[in-house]
Amino acid sequence: MELQRVRALRGPNLWSRHTAVEAIVYCEPEERSIKELVDFEIQLRTIFPQLHIRNVGLNGEPLAMAHVIEHVVLGLQAQVGCPVTFSRTIKVNTEGIYQVVVEYSEESVGRLALDLAWRLVSAARFKHPFDVEDALQQLSQLDEDVRLGPSTGSIVQAAVERNIPYRRLTQGSLVQFGWGSKQQRIQAAETSRTSAIAESIAQDKELTKELLHSAGVAVPLGKVVETADEAWQVAQELGSTIVIKPRDGNQGKGVAVNIRSEEQVRTAFAVAQHYGSKIIVERYMPGQDFRLLVVGDRLVAAARRDPPQVIGDGRSTIAELVEAINLDPLRGDGHSTPLTKIRLDDIALATIAKKNLEITSVPIKGERVVLRNNANLSTGGSATDVTDDVHPDLAASAVTAAKMVGLDICGVDIVCDAIYKPLEEQGGGVVEVNAAPGLRMHLNPSYGKSQPVGHAIVQMMFPHGQTGRIPVVAVSGTNGKTTTVRLITHLLRHHGYRVGMTSTDGIYVENERIDSGDCSGPKSARNVLMHPEVDAAVLETARGGILREGLGFDACDVAVITNIGEGDHLGMNYVETIEDLALVKSVIVKNVSANGFAVLNAADPLVVKMEKSCRGQVVYFGPSANHPVISKHKAQGKRTIYRDKDDLVAAIGQRVVHRISLSQVPLTQGGQIGFQVENTMAAIAATWSLEIDWQTIEHGLQGFVSDISSAPGRFNIFRHQGAIVIADYGHNVDAIRALVKATESIPAKRRHVVISGAGDRRDEDIRNQTKLLGDAFDCVILYQDQCQRGRQDGEVIALLQEGLHGTKKVSKVQEIHGEFLAIDTALQALEPDDLCLILIDQVEESLAYLSQITKP
Amino acid sequence: MWCWTEVLEALVDIGELEDYPSNKIPGFYERLVKTLPSLVEHRCSYEEHGGFLRRVEEGTWPVHIMEHLTLELQGLAGYHGGFGRARDGASVGVYKLIVATPHEAVTQKAIYIARDLLLALIQDRPYDLDSQVDELKELMDDLCLGPSTSSIVQAAAEKGVPHIRLSKGNLVQLGYGAAQKRIWTAETDKTSAIAETISRDKDLTKSLLAAVGVPTPQGQLVDSAQHAWEIAQDIGLPVVIKPQDGNHGRGVFTNLQTQHEIQAAFDVAQHEGSGVLVEKFIVGDEHRLLVVGDRLIAAAKGEACQVCGDGVHTIDELIQLQINSDPRRGPTEDFPLNPVRIDSMAVLELKSQGFTAESVPKKDQEVLVQRNGNVAFDVTELVHPSVAKKVVLAAKVVGLDIAGIDLVARDISRPMEEQGAAIVEVNAGPGLLMHIKPANGKPQPVGQAIVEHLFPQGHTSRIPLIGVCGPLGGTVVSEICAYFLKLSNYYAALSNHHGLSFNQRVVDISHHSEWELGHRAILNPMVEAAVIEASAYGILMEGLPYDRCSVGIITEIDRQQFFPEQSITDERQLFSLYRTQIDVVLNDGLAVINADDPLAQDLIDVASSPYLVLSIDQDNALIQASAQNGLRNIIQINDQIVLRTGFDIYHSFSMKDAEFFAPHTNSEKVRWMMAAIAAAWATGIPFATIDTGIQTFMPEELAN
Repeated sequence: MELQRVRALRGPNLWSRHTAVEAIVYCEPEERSIKELVDFEIQLRTIFPQLHIRNVGLNGEPLAMAHVIEHVVLGLQAQVGCPVTFSRTIKVNTEGIYQVVVEYSEESVGRLALDLAWRLVSAARFKHPFDVEDALQQLSQLDEDVRLGPSTGSIVQAAVERNIPYRRLTQGSLVQFGWGSKQQRIQAAETSRTSAIAESIAQDKELTKELLHSAGVAVPLGKVVETADEAWQVAQELGSTIVIKPRDGNQGKGVAVNIRSEEQVRTAFAVAQHYGSKIIVERYMPGQDFRLLVVGDRLVAAARRDPPQVIGDGRSTIAELVEAINLDPLRGDGHSTPLTKIRLDDIALATIAKKNLEITSVPIKGERVVLRNNANLSTGGSATDVTDDVHPDLAASAVTAAKMVGLDICGVDIVCDAIYKPLEEQGGGVVEVNAAPGLRMHLNPSYGKSQPVGHAIVQMMFPHGQTGRIPVVAVSGTNGKTTTVRLITHLLRHHGYRVGMTSTDGIYVENERIDSGDCSGPKSARNVLMHPEVDAAVLETARGGILREGLGFDACDVAVITNIGEGDHLGMNYVETIEDLALVKSVIVKNVSANGFAVLNAADPLVVKMEKSCRGQVVYFGPSANHPVISKHKAQGKRTIYRDKDDLVAAIGQRVVHRISLSQVPLTQGGQIGFQVENTMAAIAATWSLEIDWQTIEHGLQGFVSDISSAPGRFNIFRHQGAIVIADYGHNVDAIRALVKATESIPAKRRHVVISGAGDRRDEDIRNQTKLLGDAFDCVILYQDQCQRGRQDGEVIALLQEGLHGTKKVSKVQEIHGEFLAIDTALQALEPDDLCLILIDQVEESLAYLSQITKP
Repeated sequence: MWCWTEVLEALVDIGELEDYPSNKIPGFYERLVKTLPSLVEHRCSYEEHGGFLRRVEEGTWPVHIMEHLTLELQGLAGYHGGFGRARDGASVGVYKLIVATPHEAVTQKAIYIARDLLLALIQDRPYDLDSQVDELKELMDDLCLGPSTSSIVQAAAEKGVPHIRLSKGNLVQLGYGAAQKRIWTAETDKTSAIAETISRDKDLTKSLLAAVGVPTPQGQLVDSAQHAWEIAQDIGLPVVIKPQDGNHGRGVFTNLQTQHEIQAAFDVAQHEGSGVLVEKFIVGDEHRLLVVGDRLIAAAKGEACQVCGDGVHTIDELIQLQINSDPRRGPTEDFPLNPVRIDSMAVLELKSQGFTAESVPKKDQEVLVQRNGNVAFDVTELVHPSVAKKVVLAAKVVGLDIAGIDLVARDISRPMEEQGAAIVEVNAGPGLLMHIKPANGKPQPVGQAIVEHLFPQGHTSRIPLIGVCGPLGGTVVSEICAYFLKLSNYYAALSNHHGLSFNQRVVDISHHSEWELGHRAILNPMVEAAVIEASAYGILMEGLPYDRCSVGIITEIDRQQFFPEQSITDERQLFSLYRTQIDVVLNDGLAVINADDPLAQDLIDVASSPYLVLSIDQDNALIQASAQNGLRNIIQINDQIVLRTGFDIYHSFSMKDAEFFAPHTNSEKVRWMMAAIAAAWATGIPFATIDTGIQTFMPEELAN
């Protein structure tokens, strides 16, 4: 058994919409059916008795070791509470190789589960010991460390339910909701709109009190004093029982509450002075602690908070009472349970010591012993939901407090007797205002109802059904992707969107390249969707990225498949056939949103097959209204785009919605270049699907030309001393066929072609290219590619030569080393009215070279 | 009653000096000029350079001199300009001294110093002015706004945006009520707390910048010095080592070439933050670019600090002699440049050149002390547009509305990509001083940019604010106004003699000062409109709680009620108190004047805003005059209150069946209602709403 490769599929992928680990596993012949392995299953079940395992594989094949790995990876994650259910094991054509795919909720947890499963299964196979409890403990610990905390988790969950896309930006709790210019962020219970100044104000308790008081919110008003006389003076002004405390004290040191007489005040002042020279004298407010959660301008939850306490039974010691309480299964050690175990630590001991108690003391029956002065859940306090009891005036006070401080999400701490009466009536008040409040006590209170606070926060951030999404168009196919992507981008920009685009040439935002190289993968897609100045995204989505990592988005509004044809890159990554390839490319179609569109090429049978995997609607584009797929789609009342003589027609059912003359589309040279007509139809269909108006589309098409700046390497036409020179990046059979067809429609005296072959294609694919060219061109220059992509020197040229054998037209063949030299040689041979097709390889360099040396 | 800004008023008894104006004290003028030569700048009533000193030469009274001394002292402490007046008090030898104040305590101290100095000058005694000015300055630094915040507040004032300080620190409210924004030095209430957290995490910041195509130096987090060395070799020397979460350049080491240097830098950096970053060292000058909103506002360039040996002094001494002696360098925020200290970075920098702080470099030997010592050389106009675009995007992707971007580039006037420039840090709450007071180059209008960002075109900083003054009707009028506002769904604040209420909810009935209640009304960010009643006494004692209002109403002037203990003893003085309510009306606001009041004509004469007169008598001379001029006026015709523009009737309201007027209409009540209608009219409240209001209003005393 051998683990050959592990990948994390971080978005919708070939197998499912779930995130998953994908492992390539090699099994020895005897491992391909575990029934043949004596005792293995018994060993396995002994080590991991919780395991669920099927008897046969998905297609009835015998259960191999790879299948066992699959089930164990899933089982381990399920045991520690990860919400995962999807798994598959697929036998590929290569003997003994299996692809194991298992869903994960956290990548690192999924990877660790795979690692642990591998060790577990090996232990069972070779009869080594394996401590499954320890493994589960490790996995559980990691999961708790990396998964979102309960507050952030509740907000993310609410966002997911609202169809708002999210993405974690860090290992921590920083999360982006939405895309591009519509994105917002949260970090625990802070949003991107939470004001830093408001947080600073909330931290300054005195300033907060002053502000709240000015807005008429009841607060324990007080003053900072420096002498005992002043303290007594202020106490008289306040005219009620008071609290005396050091200004910068902590943990309740030096605090005296509920005092009134001059003697008490002076004594308390003297005590407080030990902890700081500035002493606060403020109104004492009796009552219970409440936490009110304000989101936006609404009160969304309220909880009463009680400190950890025990009630005497006349027999047990305090220690025994605590122990009894901690037996409650609701009390746990972490944040996952509604209550936390009460700790008898130094603070607890100090608290009871104030009442002359020790842990061995036996409180009388009914005596309430408070073990801590704060009611935090994490130190054993409890929270009781009281949301429905809050008096509207009291709620208004909490909202005013939040507004006055300036917080959009705010925890308001209130002390009062009754939450069902206004504060003023009972002498209660707001004692503190907290930014980034914990939500656990509302989501999972110790007693009472859970409140949907995550939903309230999401509702504030994205009101009225907004989802934070921007229009996303994904484009895939064998040929024409880049031109289609560029044309769609051009049309959307014409509409006024700031468009982010990914392609094999790089990432562009507003026509400015922000990254170069092949950017057709998920990482580039994610970068565009994170760009704050992007209003719409057009994403070329290549096969490689889908296989490697899945999609960089959870859903798209429009998926365009230009064609599959005879395919390209076959034989790589277990994609053996064009059907396999079509399956990979159809991932974008599968992930069209329910109200989105797939734009499919009616002329390509493999593309047509994708219709059934689309959740949204399908728009077909095709050569004519009579094409069987088009006419059937029309008959069903659906959207089509097709060519009608010199027009392109958009129709819904039989009704023609719009007609565009091809003479108005320079990209197609008046309709002469067939593959550009297809690209144009695909782009029109995509923008039509996004409800871009026809006038914008038409104007946009008029202004789009395929030159080296707008579409480098895509049928760029140069003139050279009376001859026409066409540069293109086409490197597969379909592209060559389309190019041959397009160039044939241009009259020429002699036809020249310059070509190299990419070494990573199959032999037959390389041969077939020249086979096509040999029938259409008089002179052929074969050059050797700069990078041979794994081939021996001369190997590719030899294949190209083989392809030319027996072709009809070719009369002259030359072999050249170096792309520029090949270009030079071709140009030198040109005579007026000749045509030369140059299949460039180093796109930018060659185009720059051509623009420099061609002389019109 | 003196001016729009805050002033301190002092009563000064000069006793026998009454008989000694300045020209009668031998040598006084000369001593004064010698002690404070800058007084020559004071123009005083001659409105000319040296005007005040001329007055002194010709002879003026001590309190007048005190006024100028106080202003000059405040100037020396850093508060420039301001209003000052000296006026006769109630009795012989007692004067009122009024001086604009940056802070009560500062001005109070300044007045005392001015008195002592004056006496010392008169008696020709020595006086240690310098130490007193230093003390004053210190007090000012403690209590007053810092220079960055001041520049914003100053810019706000120029735009007519009012400001209120909310704390002893630099927290300031700009604008009133719901239209307010807050600033705290270079943070605004739009500054996102999450964005600040992101900006402190350098690794995350870099990954966000890189994702959107903003160039950053290649690098990564390391966990040991060895690891740092390995990474350094990977990305290529030289490198920078810095703490992941540090700020203000603490623990940042640049241009490290050797394993030894990297080791030393790692050891220091790891104590500064939670992790240590190794980054490629970008060759070039450090720049600080300030982004506000969507715009690049200012750019400053850093410069290396070096000393030149003389063969005598140590490096430490040379720093004092050659660098810190620069008058632009100083320890406080007022100086554009900080003094150079030999900190841990400088120690390393010296060490790499083979020196310590105690080394004595040879004559003419150049020693580098700080690579990017001080960033204070303005280069705003040189920044290439594509660089500006990149830094604006950097601020945006982090999420900051105001950001200071640290960018290393050889030439800021060229695109970043072509020179390998990179953004090394994005800072929240950036210092503004280097742009406001650059050591070299043009100061940039940073304050204006921030105010513009907070209050862009079409965003007002004010809410409808109706000021009402009048001993009899003021309270009722304020109530009717608040009632109209409530009916049109404003969240309204009402501050009057009954107390303070928000949206009809009484929050305070205790006897706080009028000023305090009114102040609270405009502080509350929920308040969409405010009605604030003022009494003549309140104006006299504390002034109005706001600088300007949209509607100012004077119902009547009580010409009997003087305030002798405050030296208000005649009708003119009383009038000058009342007129304050009219003076504060905004230029596009409305002054509402009761034409039946004997002093109405005088109020009209002083009104600088549009005004409206009202009367129960349509033949009232002022009404006639107003109508002839085509102005708005309100009159009574039978049981109708009639709004007119000129003589044209604009709208009529019936008083019939209105409870307020039951059982009998009296002229007072009609005028009060008219005043409130005028305010509602000016505020744009629909007539239908006003109509309902008239029919249903009940004054509070009667309602309860």
